[in-house]
Amino acid sequence: MSRIFFDKIHICDPSSGRDAVSAMLVTDGHVEAIGSPQELGQPPSDAVVIKGGDAVLAPGLVDIRVQSRTPGQAHKENATSLARAAAAGGITAMVCLPNTDPVLDNPDSLTALIRNDRHDAAAPRIYAYGAATRGLEGTAMAELGLLAEAGAAGFTNAVMPIADSLVMRRVMSYAAMLDKPVIQHAEDPSLAAGGEMHEGETATRLGLKGIPAIAEEIMVARDLSLARLTGARYHVAHVSCRQTVQLIRAAKAEGLAVTCDTAPPYFILNDLAVMQYDSRFQLSPPLRSEDDRQAIIEGISDGTIDCIASDHAPQDRDSKLLPFGIAEAGSSALETLLTMVMGLYHQDHISLLKAIDLISTTPATLLDLKGGTLAAGSDADMVIFAPDRGWQVRGADFLSLSHSTPFEGQPVQGKVLSTWVGGVNIFDINDATE
Amino acid sequence: MVSKNGTKNNLRTATNQAVAHDPHSAAHLESPHLLGIEGMTRPVIEGLLARANQFAELPKGAFLTHLNGITIFNLFFENSTRTRVSFDLAARKIGASIVNVPVSTSSIKKGESLLDTAVTLNAMHPDILVMRHPHAGASLLLSQHVDAAVVNAGDGRHEHPTQALLDALTIKRTFENITGGDIAGLKIAICGDIANSRVARSNIHLLTTLGAEIRLVSPKTLLPTGIEAMGVSVHHDMMEGIRGVDIVMLLRLQTERMQGTETPSQREFFHLFGLNAEKLTAAAPNAFIMHPGPMNRGVEIDSALADNHERSLITMQVDMGVAVRMACLEAAYGAQKHRDEAVS
Repeated sequence: MSRIFFDKIHICDPSSGRDAVSAMLVTDGHVEAIGSPQELGQPPSDAVVIKGGDAVLAPGLVDIRVQSRTPGQAHKENATSLARAAAAGGITAMVCLPNTDPVLDNPDSLTALIRNDRHDAAAPRIYAYGAATRGLEGTAMAELGLLAEAGAAGFTNAVMPIADSLVMRRVMSYAAMLDKPVIQHAEDPSLAAGGEMHEGETATRLGLKGIPAIAEEIMVARDLSLARLTGARYHVAHVSCRQTVQLIRAAKAEGLAVTCDTAPPYFILNDLAVMQYDSRFQLSPPLRSEDDRQAIIEGISDGTIDCIASDHAPQDRDSKLLPFGIAEAGSSALETLLTMVMGLYHQDHISLLKAIDLISTTPATLLDLKGGTLAAGSDADMVIFAPDRGWQVRGADFLSLSHSTPFEGQPVQGKVLSTWVGGVNIFDINDATE
Repeated sequence: MVSKNGTKNNLRTATNQAVAHDPHSAAHLESPHLLGIEGMTRPVIEGLLARANQFAELPKGAFLTHLNGITIFNLFFENSTRTRVSFDLAARKIGASIVNVPVSTSSIKKGESLLDTAVTLNAMHPDILVMRHPHAGASLLLSQHVDAAVVNAGDGRHEHPTQALLDALTIKRTFENITGGDIAGLKIAICGDIANSRVARSNIHLLTTLGAEIRLVSPKTLLPTGIEAMGVSVHHDMMEGIRGVDIVMLLRLQTERMQGTETPSQREFFHLFGLNAEKLTAAAPNAFIMHPGPMNRGVEIDSALADNHERSLITMQVDMGVAVRMACLEAAYGAQKHRDEAVS
């Protein structure tokens, strides 16, 4: 029997609302007891004791939008680098997109990637979405029922929208029957065709072709109508603009089963970042206007935006060393998710509980994943972090194979100290900084 | 009376010729590369134009030796005849060795060759790289990875700085007897495909910096979002847009950069936005016509009007191109040498 006693540590658990100095006993990978230091009393004699100090203990991060690049593009990320980077980011569970090679449009490929029970592998849990359409081609439904049985967390066309309205209607109807969410990268392909960055004054100055915000808005508007028709659970990925936030706010008020996430670039940066054609800012969706950025923060604060995902989309150096318009979109994001969300807390946009809720409890609940809670009996998937500790983002220091980050050089606050999956320590900053 | 190439005064011509032969009279840049007009200060622009004007007045057969021993590479990732030849001739006229690097315009589509090519060429130690590329920002990217001075000969829809400078020199010389060569206060209409035009962007920056009033005349589908922020007015009726202007600057319909149908047809475009004698009556009396070429006759401009030597400055624009590029190459080399000296 292995026992760990966390003594007098600030525990932040949105699932119970706990946000206080507490104690917790973990036995054989599960939370056995959690409560005030008085309630738990002295640590059992056979337990390893860990003292809190200034650190915060929270349920581990649950990242619901990760491009694993594995299998198929091991030069951008492989299974080992993916696991190490996620662990260093405090992530205990992640959901991978089906745009691997082979595409996750059949049960065998899906089960080959999923690793959500083997916490003895000392790595974050890996879940995956099933491809909504065969080969992600957007024309014919994939075997959604078989994918669901194989453990698909939901269905999506990954970085491509499901653009055909009839296909989307069928996918939604079928997914509703299976009670699985449909995750959409909302971008009308004809309005966005050839686009290189957000459409606006900056794009005009730079001579780059614009991707208008309305490309996102129009697809979300259509999908909301289809969600109303089909009763599907509809989830918009990486919301980037004001009108989308407003549409989702209204749909939620109406009672539709709609949820959404955003990613740190969309509440931290705007399209002015592109002024020097730096391909680190080549992201999909593109960095939007300052007004859009403000709207994303409003959406996070008022709960319209349910969660924040890293949107990890690793690229190798060659894919980024290109003129802005043809550089590959995406950034290495696993190792900055926590600190970027802590920025919202430090700027008083959200509470600490809300911050953890956005990156752990709500995403876990939404997709029925392990983690997101430290309730007695649950898996001991945890992160311990120093919320105030300052550091500077340096892509070169990432454990991910991809070192391209739009936050390069940015001073940030909030540092992961250790990460635990099923009571097993899978990352410790003292080992990492050797 | 303004003569065919815009010169008027023999005494001044002689003085200018003497100065042209003095390498110490080179124009100065504020950065080691010449990537665009945006951000270029008025003194820098005026300096380049004054230097180019000196070169413009050299006799036809004059070849200078200012850049003897200097190697220039012409890197054109997009098809071009006039700009490439103009840079080639300018380099020779100022004494440099120029190599026209044959680059495959098809391989760039695979996105593999720009920096590979740059690194390879850099190993041959050129002093100046002149590059045209189909993607905006490519010249900035190149400048970050080579030791040579980079001169942008057009990057996607972004900028074409030497074209704007040669247009400005053409205007200055044309208006020498009218405004003393002053561009400030002139009313200039830029007409046609603004969205896909790097010439429009560079000209807007340059001409507004020199104080001209710029009006854009274009169908809504060929105007990029937020262009008004660049200090221009926008018009969709051509007669209204060119009313009282001193210069009508036409742009080529960039069919190769257009996607799908931004205008219903060339016939309709000519009807609404093509310049003909009737529409030209709205402009100031004796207004001049400019076009960066190559022209689509019967699309942007009525063929007869293009050949009207009283009004059209199109041939002079080509002529001034060589002088402007001599001044730019000389200035870029000077700026690069200055940077290298500062580093060592």
